Amino acid sequence: MLEKLMSIDRRIIFILVALAVILPTLIPVSMPISVSEPTQKLYDYIETIPAGGTIMLVFDYGPASLAELNPMARAIMKQCFAKDIRVIGLTLYAVGTTMGSTLIQEVVEETGAVDGEDYVFLGFRPGLELVILGMGTDITSIFDRDYNGKPLSEIPMMQNVTNYDQVDLLVDLSAGSLTEAWITYANVQFNLQIAAGVTGVIISQMYPYLQTGQLVGLIPGIAGAAEYERLIEAPAKGTLWINIESFVHLLIIGLVVIGNIAFFIQRRREE
Amino acid sequence: MSKTIQCVVVCLVLCVSLAFSQGLSPPSNVTAMDTPNDDGSSVTIKWDAAPEDSGISGYQILRRIAGGGLEEIGEMLPAGATSYVDATIEKGNAYAYIVRAVSGTEATVDSNETAPAKGTGEWFHTGKIPLFVAMIVFSIAVMVSIYHARSGQEVFIRRIPGLEAVNEAIGRATEMGRSILYVLGLGGVSGAATIASMNILGQVARRTADYETPLHVPCNDPIVMNVVREMVKAAYLNEGRPDAYNEENIFFLTDSQFAYAAGVDGIMLREKPAAIFLQGTFYAESLILAETGNSIGAIQIAGTDSEHQLPFLITACDYTLIGEELYTASAYLSKEPMLLGSIRGQDWGKMIIFAAIVLGVILELAGISWITTLLQRVS
Amino acid sequence: MRRQVPLILCFVFGIVMIFTQFIPHSLSQSLHQEVRQWYLIIFPFALVFSSIALIRTHVMRIRRRTEHWRYSFLIFIGILMMVVIGVPFGPQHHVFEWLFNNVQVPMDATMFSLLAFFIASAAYRAFRARTLEASLLLVTALIVMLGNVPVGDLVWNTVFAWLPWENATSGMKQWILDNPNLSARRGIILGISLGVISQSIRIILGIERSYLGGGD
Repeated sequence: MLEKLMSIDRRIIFILVALAVILPTLIPVSMPISVSEPTQKLYDYIETIPAGGTIMLVFDYGPASLAELNPMARAIMKQCFAKDIRVIGLTLYAVGTTMGSTLIQEVVEETGAVDGEDYVFLGFRPGLELVILGMGTDITSIFDRDYNGKPLSEIPMMQNVTNYDQVDLLVDLSAGSLTEAWITYANVQFNLQIAAGVTGVIISQMYPYLQTGQLVGLIPGIAGAAEYERLIEAPAKGTLWINIESFVHLLIIGLVVIGNIAFFIQRRREE
Repeated sequence: MSKTIQCVVVCLVLCVSLAFSQGLSPPSNVTAMDTPNDDGSSVTIKWDAAPEDSGISGYQILRRIAGGGLEEIGEMLPAGATSYVDATIEKGNAYAYIVRAVSGTEATVDSNETAPAKGTGEWFHTGKIPLFVAMIVFSIAVMVSIYHARSGQEVFIRRIPGLEAVNEAIGRATEMGRSILYVLGLGGVSGAATIASMNILGQVARRTADYETPLHVPCNDPIVMNVVREMVKAAYLNEGRPDAYNEENIFFLTDSQFAYAAGVDGIMLREKPAAIFLQGTFYAESLILAETGNSIGAIQIAGTDSEHQLPFLITACDYTLIGEELYTASAYLSKEPMLLGSIRGQDWGKMIIFAAIVLGVILELAGISWITTLLQRVS
Repeated sequence: MRRQVPLILCFVFGIVMIFTQFIPHSLSQSLHQEVRQWYLIIFPFALVFSSIALIRTHVMRIRRRTEHWRYSFLIFIGILMMVVIGVPFGPQHHVFEWLFNNVQVPMDATMFSLLAFFIASAAYRAFRARTLEASLLLVTALIVMLGNVPVGDLVWNTVFAWLPWENATSGMKQWILDNPNLSARRGIILGISLGVISQSIRIILGIERSYLGGGD
């Protein structure tokens, strides 16, 4: 029995994890969410941007990370549109193009934001740091048209935006190392203020930049997305999913505790 | 009569603007100069901060090209601004500037015009002097250590179990008659971890060439695939076994992160390699790969500089090279004195940083912050 | 000669690229940009070679009727479908978008979600309090796991309501991330950075030649 508890078949663990996800999805529960400091910092920073200001929202992620990063993007866009802050969407990751355009359309349908006045989606250009550096001098040298092919010179909200000097903040939503590229090239070389929203597995990678002030704020994983939804008072998928995640965490903790109890009993007996 | 009316109108306008601009003093000490440490594409304008009760609500910068008229540049700056970088200049032209203070009632008052300034590209970035010195010191430490190692001085290098296990893993695969799977991660060819991984692969390939053990390398990056093909081929040639080299075993899978993970998992489950090397840059797919490898009972040696993935790899793999161990692997495996010497140089660099940290902490505690200030000034 | 040319090129470009970091002059910066653009130009060519290699591998598989050879047809169907729609009509085309949203999105999301299952099984296997260090790791992991989800604070605020600290689980998690985690990471990052510099010096000076297949 003890042996069995110490080495539960991984397939049983997989079934338990599946149940821990499916059951709370069918019977949703609600738990109070406390806001962490990095999320609060980003929210506060955007709140200080005056109406008519501009932020860049970078969709540096693919479909695999949409569960964590889409709720963040949605919440940030809602906050910006409510405050009359303009949003320039773009991506350095080819697959991010469809992610960004689809999500923006969804938010636009909810908020009634106007293309070219409240937001513009520039799409994707290859070249990573070349794109970042190029936009620091002149955005039109990299993106002369938006995703729909309209020249930037004909887009009203881009009339006074030449480079990063006219951008109040860049929020990079990333599942990899692209946030570091934005910090290295846009923050260090052009002094552009940068914040990030990242997936759970790379949260700890971002903390050094948060402490040095190179990131003005950080949305950490789905927990951060739920916190942001609480801050803008619009609970959505982030809130639902963090509650589900609670059950999976409890299951893992339970498994670890069971394994350790069995381990201790066995060690006592051996002694 | 008309002249009298004109005079009255001009006087009235002057009186009105005076009344509006009453108390609004022009920005003082306005200077324009070439922006230091840039490529010559900008001019920096500076002025003194206005007192709090000045009534200024913002500043507008005006620019004049020699012999031309004044033009407004950029958007209105906030009241607290004391400098502006004009990055819209044309190289070679001299520009003079005026800073216009604007009050809440939209009354304006202009500063004196600055002397003309040109943008000039600098040949050395003075803000990077500490960085340059650090680079020179560290390079010298590495090169001196290499020189000493070359002259026959023995270099001690601590035992790294993950690297000791490389030969064991290859031997085991050979004995079992199964293949070796080498995963280079998701990094591009310019990534330091990918290069380090390729260096290890070079060593592994020499041994698999000797033992005639099949070596499979699924690649995520097209350039990496082409480079790896060339280097593995060269390794087999150097070992005198060109016939054992099979180009088809080094192939491009996909550049999509999770499709790549699915593909590699599929290879693991079908081929059941006896040894798996996970060396390079990894993201969220690391645990998916390592757990699948674990489930088929392969001996797994991982190594990454993606420190956020280390917990996953340590949990699921038999051996894990942590951070810098990945970069010492090539020297450790080849035992070449010159490569080993560079590792000693690396340790000297670490000692210098360690000493700077300790000294910095002591000085900070004593209220002296010049090390912190120096480091903060590095551009 | 076959060895010397790449080594000389490596040395020259290595040194030039280092110095462009310290020379802000436009000549130096345009040289830096130029070299980076060469990389961009190389990429599509390499992609073509790799795609040819991929197609050849699967053609061989079909020809030799190796195990699971029928799946190779799926590769060709996938490539053809996306190329036929994507190249002439672009990614904005509704069929391309439909395929992306209904094929690639669920497949990628499925692969990523496997992580939850694997984390559970790996954590169960690895977190055993065998030694003092392992016990510390275990306790830290439990606190971070609890602090990362709302249930952690809920449990704390209910069970320890009599204590003056509200939301202490997430507070402890934040402290762990901000302090022990950050200092350990900085140490590892310093080591990695020195390792990268040392490796770069070895490659630039031509001492490290493993990437050329070893030998002299």
